[in-house]
Amino acid sequence: MNALQRIVCTWCGAQSPQEAATCIACGAPLDIKNAVSDSGWRAAPRLRDMTELRFGNSTCQLEGEIVPVAEITLGGNDAVFFEHHVMLWKDQHVAMGVLPLQGGMKRALAGMPFIISTASGQGRIAFSRDAAGELVVLPLHPGMELDVREHAFLLSSHSIEFSYTRIQGLRNILFGGQGMFMDRFVTRDAPGLLILHGYGNVFERRLAPGESILLEPGAFLYKAASVTMNVETQKLTTGLFGGVGMNLARMTGPGRLGIQSMYHHHNTE
Amino acid sequence: MGDSTLYTCPWCKRSSDASSTSCPSCGAPVDVRKAVTKSGWTEQPPIKDMAKIQFGQSFCQIEGTLVPVADFKLAAGDGVYFAHHLMLWKDDQAQISAMKLKGGWNRVLAGMPLVMTQAMGPGRIAFSKDHPGELVAIPLDRGQSIDVREHVFMIATHSISYDWFTSGIWYRTREENNRETHYPVGMFMDRFTAGEKAGLLLLHGTGNVYVRELQAGEHILIQPSSLLFKDPTVRMNLHFEYPASVWTRPGTWIVTSRSWGNRYLWLRLAALPWPRLCAAAAGGGLTAALAAAFAAYGIWQEWWLGTLGLALFAVIVMARAAAPSAADQSPGARSPGDQSPGATRPPRRGWRASGR
Repeated sequence: MNALQRIVCTWCGAQSPQEAATCIACGAPLDIKNAVSDSGWRAAPRLRDMTELRFGNSTCQLEGEIVPVAEITLGGNDAVFFEHHVMLWKDQHVAMGVLPLQGGMKRALAGMPFIISTASGQGRIAFSRDAAGELVVLPLHPGMELDVREHAFLLSSHSIEFSYTRIQGLRNILFGGQGMFMDRFVTRDAPGLLILHGYGNVFERRLAPGESILLEPGAFLYKAASVTMNVETQKLTTGLFGGVGMNLARMTGPGRLGIQSMYHHHNTE
Repeated sequence: MGDSTLYTCPWCKRSSDASSTSCPSCGAPVDVRKAVTKSGWTEQPPIKDMAKIQFGQSFCQIEGTLVPVADFKLAAGDGVYFAHHLMLWKDDQAQISAMKLKGGWNRVLAGMPLVMTQAMGPGRIAFSKDHPGELVAIPLDRGQSIDVREHVFMIATHSISYDWFTSGIWYRTREENNRETHYPVGMFMDRFTAGEKAGLLLLHGTGNVYVRELQAGEHILIQPSSLLFKDPTVRMNLHFEYPASVWTRPGTWIVTSRSWGNRYLWLRLAALPWPRLCAAAAGGGLTAALAAAFAAYGIWQEWWLGTLGLALFAVIVMARAAAPSAADQSPGARSPGDQSPGATRPPRRGWRASGR
């Protein structure tokens, strides 16, 4: 097929056949305009019910809209990994395993999942989280590094390397709302698929080099590894009663930044 | 449709250019028919994704539908205030500071936000709540007030003043020697009033939002926690219902019982019955009584005293009818057993009040 006859997805950059209504790589609707606010935030694609997308030899179907389900049909030697409590159901043919992780003690101390489960083999397995929100499908091209808020990832294909990165600075750890670590997903030679779950609606913004924005720390969902995060405190005083300190995360580009609208509010007192 | 055609929003009653897809005053979509249930509730149409609302020289864009975000572009001199935990993001230009509130100690005791934060333009700032639901944009005209359930308020423009009052809606339960006071709609309610200039108020309704216009004298019973906002003229009080439960006791006795455990707790909302006719009648009565009193002064002492008594009665009737709301009464001003006119009886000793 002629390259001119293909549609380029503005969310992930993948090319889909001209007759496709949704992107084959990320499921984003191709027949509607991007929703971008005047301030520059782009709404994550509202994935239609029963949208299907492909990765490797496998497919993923997204079901439901309030608490969406990602149903994976694993093919060939494909596998996915995930936190075990997000699994909704599976075929008996799907083999379960455990992803070897480094720094188990640190992970346990930091409250991060100590065990990451894997599912491999041919068969079906489905995942969902326990709150209303959106699934964010992020096909990762080779050489990409993405930092994700802990416990926010739903599943990832096995071609993506999973590690964690320690948040720098005591203030960032104490008031940043992320804890001590963030999940880091890295693609080396092969592309991969990462699906996150954002509480509420999800918006993305590409920060230019040096551009920064102040964010409620609980709203952070994901960022490119090149985006830096520093917590700043704004004191709001009210005389006799002292007032409160408001902690805001300053995110500085370059790179993409994703936020969720139903944020985890961490006590700012 | 030509640009000169004016469209009147069925929600906020304001006119705007009919060429836009949503009302610039409240964000309600213009291409959606009014959905009214058979019982008379009108479903507030959700504000469309990326709809814009204008106030003064500033704009508010509503983004998202599940947990919507209110993204403000504040012009120089314009400002908004909000509970500080609602802020999602802001740019460096928007300046935020604390806004002083009266009654700090009472607010702390009632669990209301102690600090109200204000943001001044120019700059951009965005807000969202941490529950799925709908944003309700209420443009307030000059001098217009609205009462809002606590913790529902999101953002208001500077031209709107903020006050709060005791809801006056409470009841007590008792188990052994432990007494507990319950506030089904919260201890306090927020009141927002537009001053010299009109303003915009944004509320967050958890779930879907329905609106109903109560006619004078009409009343309705609602689940107390479902109240979102009301006009100050709408009175509210508690109403308990005890449906009879029936069972047979061995020996063919049929027993009926009305127990606290089977109760239903309602909030009765009623439009203030103070129509023009009542006002005219009371005013006319007062005038007639005073005229008779002056005419009879020094002639017949009994008549004079009688007409003065009649005038006093008319003044009391007018004062009672013109009382702003039952919600303005302090809980402490009532006796424990006198929760509301509809209340039947206080819970019996030893019964635990369980939630519905």
